[in-house]
Amino acid sequence: MFRRHNGQMDLRAQWEKLKEFVKTLSLQRQMMENLIIAKARQDALQRKMEERRLRLQEEANRRFAASGTITAEEQEQRILYTNVLEYEQDHDWPKLWKANIKKNPDDATLVSGLVSCLLSCPDHPVMMLLKRLQYRVYNRLYPIVSKSLPASPALPMKPSHSAQSLLMSDSHQNASKSEVGHSMSSDASLNISFSHDHIANEEDGDGPHTLDRENSFEDLEQFLTQLDWAPSHGDPDVTFEQSQLDQEESLVQDLEMRDLKEHLKAIVKDIHIAIDQLLSLCLLSFECLNTASSKDLCVASIEEAFFTPLWSSLLALFRKVHRERELSFESSMRLYRDASPGDVGVASKLYPQDPVVLRGSYPYDSAVQELRLLCRDCCPQRKLECIVRTLRLICACAEDYSCLHEAESKTAAIGADDLLPILSYVALRCELPQLVSECAALEEFIHEGYLIGEEGYCLTSMQSALQYVESLHTGGFQLHNTKFT
Amino acid sequence: FTMAAGGGAGNKTYSFKVVLLGEGCVGKTSLVLRYCENKFNDKHITTLQASFLTKKLNITGKRVNLAIWDTAGQERFHALGPIYYRDSNGAILVYDITDEDSFQKVKNWVKELRKMLGNEICLCIVGNKVDLEKERHVSVEEAEGYAESVGAKHYHTSAKLNKGIEELFLDLCKRMMETAQAEERAKGNGASQSTTSRRGVQIVDDDPQAATAAGGCCSSA
Repeated sequence: MFRRHNGQMDLRAQWEKLKEFVKTLSLQRQMMENLIIAKARQDALQRKMEERRLRLQEEANRRFAASGTITAEEQEQRILYTNVLEYEQDHDWPKLWKANIKKNPDDATLVSGLVSCLLSCPDHPVMMLLKRLQYRVYNRLYPIVSKSLPASPALPMKPSHSAQSLLMSDSHQNASKSEVGHSMSSDASLNISFSHDHIANEEDGDGPHTLDRENSFEDLEQFLTQLDWAPSHGDPDVTFEQSQLDQEESLVQDLEMRDLKEHLKAIVKDIHIAIDQLLSLCLLSFECLNTASSKDLCVASIEEAFFTPLWSSLLALFRKVHRERELSFESSMRLYRDASPGDVGVASKLYPQDPVVLRGSYPYDSAVQELRLLCRDCCPQRKLECIVRTLRLICACAEDYSCLHEAESKTAAIGADDLLPILSYVALRCELPQLVSECAALEEFIHEGYLIGEEGYCLTSMQSALQYVESLHTGGFQLHNTKFT
Repeated sequence: FTMAAGGGAGNKTYSFKVVLLGEGCVGKTSLVLRYCENKFNDKHITTLQASFLTKKLNITGKRVNLAIWDTAGQERFHALGPIYYRDSNGAILVYDITDEDSFQKVKNWVKELRKMLGNEICLCIVGNKVDLEKERHVSVEEAEGYAESVGAKHYHTSAKLNKGIEELFLDLCKRMMETAQAEERAKGNGASQSTTSRRGVQIVDDDPQAATAAGGCCSSA
């Protein structure tokens, strides 16, 4: 993480080489031991491996039967699977978990235990693949997101430590109005610790951006805080390689909005493929997880691990693409800062006008607070849950408020006619333009299975409300729509 | 993942999405609340109240999960209409029999739904508030004739008197099941390809046989 001078770079490169050498040595020793001490066991495993390889081959043949040819993915999958088997020769925990789950197939806690155990083993092939796929996505995002708009040239690239990057974003927070999103994103960087061991051991060539491996996610965090809100000032401490800088600068300058959208689309597709790949390797490694409920848990955990370090840079790209929409949202937000729910069409029986009842706050305060938390999470599923909670809170508040109006205790359950105006009001009050981009991103990553359910409904309603808010500042809509009471 | 949109084969559970469309004052909220009121216990419906409701049914031995999506009737929320009704298996379009204007709105939605989703979606046109028969402004003949002309089925209901609602939903479910089964048959025997594509785009089937099957079950004989 300390990239200051070329000398230090050399030293580190050597150190990495040395480490790799030592690692290779110890690996060789381990293999020898295995051969000598556990020959029998290994033979058995070898047989098992062959059997499973055959099974895998059969499965692959079934999967690719239509095309009739052996694809690169199939080849890759086979290699990955071999890695899994090799790992299992050296480690006992997978077998222990498998046996345990086989003994207690209905114990859901065992399944989540296994999944979290897997996630905590960075050297398991599933986790190695996860890291590799993450870097692939990150390396595609990095050149686009790390560059500011063409207007501000050559943003400084500084070596950063956690503390420094946090400090930086702190000072930016004070300067910017929309601090919530950014301060949240720097929170996320605390959890990221991609060890250099890993980066050095990665042997795949990911194209021209392999150098980016040198940059920790923290660099990006720092960039993101500068991206929108801070003026750029020249900094002599540029360590990014000049040739690459030039190359990428021109690349980014050539990227117009259309290209940016294409890029976004491609990255989204990559992510979907990555998650599918991870899930299938995970299920291949642990067949006991191949049940409907375990699979759901698996996907949720994989996604959380996958998205958490990437979300802030991913969101930055979405924000670039949806910049116009965010600006519209911001204009409406300013225009309607002091609007009452009635101004955006909420029926008068659904909010109290009496300040005593509101106790110094504003209507639907709790829902607004909940929605603000959305930007803190870094994984789509959690964000969706946050939106669902927001809508539930709205319904609960509406029920309370309407009870205030009507003495009769008859519950007046609200439908979409009432829900959407309230949701629009809550979105306005939230004062977070990036909600537009967050929801656009969620739309891409929500599971098809959730699309039809409550999560899908809530996201759709949220999108609808946001679009309405965006249109408010143009005055295209009449307020106080009389149809509504 | 566990939920297969668009229904599944054999003894699997069907999951259907139904959108509820209609102007603000036609009573669609009361209609759907009536339907989802639990007969066996009086407890409250769902946390999203009348906006989003689910109901589990058992029809001729097949399990059906219904997800009912209410939509806002106001014009200003229509820009995102298509994302509400994408992947819908059925649509319930409600008008108020005393309000001619609300019937015109239904016609607009029918046009849009047919344009966006083709013939795959089962349409129900519902004249609500038949308890106000004396103030009727939309004639029965006109409404039923229109429904037939667009391959929809027409129903009369009263949310107030709890009339016609159970029948409406039961009928719709049966039709959606028929459509799903016809779709499965058209997709080829046994090859249980997932009916949903990754981004939730409705797969338009232009097999003429499937089209007639769908048309047959959606018209009011």
